[in-house]
Amino acid sequence: MKKEVPLAITFISGLLLVLALFIPHKPFGNLEEIFNDWFIIVSGFTLLLGIDSLLGYNFHKIKRKDKDAPFALILILSFFITLAWGIIEILRTPEHNPFSPSSTFSLYFYNYIFIPLQSTMFAILSFFIASAAYRAFRAKEINSALLLVSAVLVMLGRVPLGQDAAPYVISVIFLIFAVYFYAESTGITETRTKLIYILVALIFVALIYPLGWVYFKKHIPEFADWLMNIPQMAGKRGIMIGIALGGIAMSIRIILGIERTYMK
Amino acid sequence: MKLILLLFLGQVAPVEVRAFDTPYDAGGSITIIWEMDTAWVAKVSRIGIFRASAPGLQDSLIETLYKPDSVYVDNSAKDNVPYYYRIVVYSDDTLIAEGKTASAAVSTQQWFNGKRLSVLIILIIYTVFLLYFIMRARTNKNLYIRKIAGLEAIDEAVGRSTEMGRPIVYIMGLGYISDIPTVASLAILKRVAYKAAEYNAEVVVPCYDPIVMVAAQETVKEGFVEAGRPDLYKESDIYYLTSDQFGYAAGVDGIMMRQKPGAVFLQGYFYAESLILAETGHSIGAIQISGTTAVTQLPFFIASTDYTLIGEEMYAASAYLSRDALSLGTIKGEDYIKMILVVVILIGALMESAGIRILTDFFSIF
Repeated sequence: MKKEVPLAITFISGLLLVLALFIPHKPFGNLEEIFNDWFIIVSGFTLLLGIDSLLGYNFHKIKRKDKDAPFALILILSFFITLAWGIIEILRTPEHNPFSPSSTFSLYFYNYIFIPLQSTMFAILSFFIASAAYRAFRAKEINSALLLVSAVLVMLGRVPLGQDAAPYVISVIFLIFAVYFYAESTGITETRTKLIYILVALIFVALIYPLGWVYFKKHIPEFADWLMNIPQMAGKRGIMIGIALGGIAMSIRIILGIERTYMK
Repeated sequence: MKLILLLFLGQVAPVEVRAFDTPYDAGGSITIIWEMDTAWVAKVSRIGIFRASAPGLQDSLIETLYKPDSVYVDNSAKDNVPYYYRIVVYSDDTLIAEGKTASAAVSTQQWFNGKRLSVLIILIIYTVFLLYFIMRARTNKNLYIRKIAGLEAIDEAVGRSTEMGRPIVYIMGLGYISDIPTVASLAILKRVAYKAAEYNAEVVVPCYDPIVMVAAQETVKEGFVEAGRPDLYKESDIYYLTSDQFGYAAGVDGIMMRQKPGAVFLQGYFYAESLILAETGHSIGAIQISGTTAVTQLPFFIASTDYTLIGEEMYAASAYLSRDALSLGTIKGEDYIKMILVVVILIGALMESAGIRILTDFFSIF
């Protein structure tokens, strides 16, 4: 019974919600809304579980005199100060809810503590994007090289001075590729391969003017948009279709009780 | 010209008004449409919609529109009650057009949403495919599934972390238990816990949601029990952190910087915090295995982590890891339906290019 009851509840709930997608008539039509309301009510109570876990974990750290104990102490103090502050506000001005967004307490806490902390964390992201991009764009192999070229073109197409800078940037990139292929060719003994490498290097040099100074100088924003709207979108949609199908398969596994990892 | 003439003559133009039960809805709604003369559009300042429940009764204003719309959905209608509508069109304060419905409109509830017929057909075909492959899996246990590098690397990551004497940090993202990626993540967590118990390693799971925390505690416990080491299970290692996005990112970053885990798993649904977490994991030299269905976060994971489960690979994880024949059957069915969809998409693209819109219209559900 310990397994059968949750499985039966899952099966019935899952099936009802699938039916609700196709039947607008009551009681099916608003079933999703009702289930969501129930979920919100239940999840509201589970916050107590979270608080219990958080405080228990941090009290335990202090008790053990863990090296992280000072952080645990700050967390516990912050928790109780916030709670006490709210209760005092209720006692002093019972007509005002201290936790409503317009109360002095909430505004002070939100504007001077919460927002700056959040902004700080979010700001770190810009540095992490730079470091991750540096690693991803190292042209070690053909895929990374393509990624680098695409990223440069999209960046040039989307920044204000990109159109003016495009010919210079593209000239430099093409020259780097030309030098790379020429340098590689010097170490090759087989005549045919060597000639191919030299030819590729020459093609890069030859493309600098028509591509960089004629085409991209005029059309880099359109090209960046094309890159984002056609090849990028095609790949993205492929992944999204896979995710949708995988999601349906997973849901069917859950409804039929094949997938049971969520329960004991 | 027509409008100027009518205004000059002091006459009001007739408007053809139709009202009907809004199709495919749960009742309580009537759609009113009227034909707006293109010459008037620029002149219209407001449109008044009046409603009466009987032809002879005095009607009352139910809505005023301040732009030249030609459709209004009355969501205040009661089911099975006849309504008569009247539209009055003003140019400034001058009445320029008026029209009434000829017959009563009655709102009713529908038993089938016809707009979603295409979804139903696909769902039925898909379910039939899945059930067929589940049945086939019962007889043929050796279904082939291609290797998924990210899942193959789980054992290696846990082993490496154990050798280094460091804990394993498992991050389930910002998803709730109702999100499928979170359920998929639990399956991977079970495998990680199982391996960690075998190697006597510590698994730390900081959670964003209390319900997910409870589910994670049960999953890790089960992993330890299945590995035959329930004594090693520590409930206090799976704890709630916060339900604030960047608070959670800061907390997990702090845990990673202080505890220096040997392996970091980022499995679940992530938002902007994905890169903050993955780059911190990279900076401490941990082997990282990520997986998400958030398409916008996938490039960050691919750039920052060692292995990434891309979208559906995450959903396939439980079947792949458990090697359960029934689950593998659903993966197989999914692959076949994907092939069919690719063909349908190709045909649709060709038909659309040729100006034939049958498929496009069939799949338009809104």
